Amino acid sequence: MNNEARLATLPHAYPFRFVDAVVRPADAGLDAAGGGVWKGEALARVSANARAAASGEWGSTLLLAEAIAQAALLLQGGDPETGRRGFLAGIDDFEAVRAPCAGETLAISVELAGRFGAILKFQGEVRGEEGSIARGAVMVRRGEESPHGGS
Amino acid sequence: MTRENLAPRVKDLIVRRLKLDIDPSTIQDEAPLFGEGLGLDSIDALELVLGLEQEFGIKVQDEEVGVKAFASVNALCDFIEQKKIA
Repeated sequence: MNNEARLATLPHAYPFRFVDAVVRPADAGLDAAGGGVWKGEALARVSANARAAASGEWGSTLLLAEAIAQAALLLQGGDPETGRRGFLAGIDDFEAVRAPCAGETLAISVELAGRFGAILKFQGEVRGEEGSIARGAVMVRRGEESPHGGS
Repeated sequence: MTRENLAPRVKDLIVRRLKLDIDPSTIQDEAPLFGEGLGLDSIDALELVLGLEQEFGIKVQDEEVGVKAFASVNALCDFIEQKKIA
């Protein structure tokens, strides 16, 4: 799947889509024992340009958690049937140092920590040029429409 | 590990992993964990799955099995004991 097709699996559009490119797709799947906990890692790249153009900077550092969730949905749910259906269901141990600056390009790494049924937990980190600016866990529910239409 | 030792450890895991503001000893062995009991939800279930894996080395590989195992502290202890024997 090329980058454009992969991004098309997200229900989000400007100015609510925070992931602009997938740099390294997830290597996800069942673990060696065929268990329910998967391991995967991915890197996505985010540009703050769109939000910066609209408001000077992202309004809230919590949007970085949304960016992690979007990256997670892209990387673990990257097909039209599952990728379009999912939403941010929870945030855990999330810390952010600052909001992104205008024009800044951020890298998001996401690792699947576990899953149970339709709920997936991802550990994520957002990095700017000087290092980490946010990290934490997000829970994403797949397979149901969000009342708000997406992650 | 005896059952007498296991139940308190399971209760401690539940309180700690789910960041519940209660004394672990107040959780009844037979009380349902979800719904009317502790009021846990599907996100909490995932956290318990991760806790079982990290702290007991037990994987919950099937949602249906997990739902039964998380019915109560006693059910969870039974599940852990069965997995340890297997």
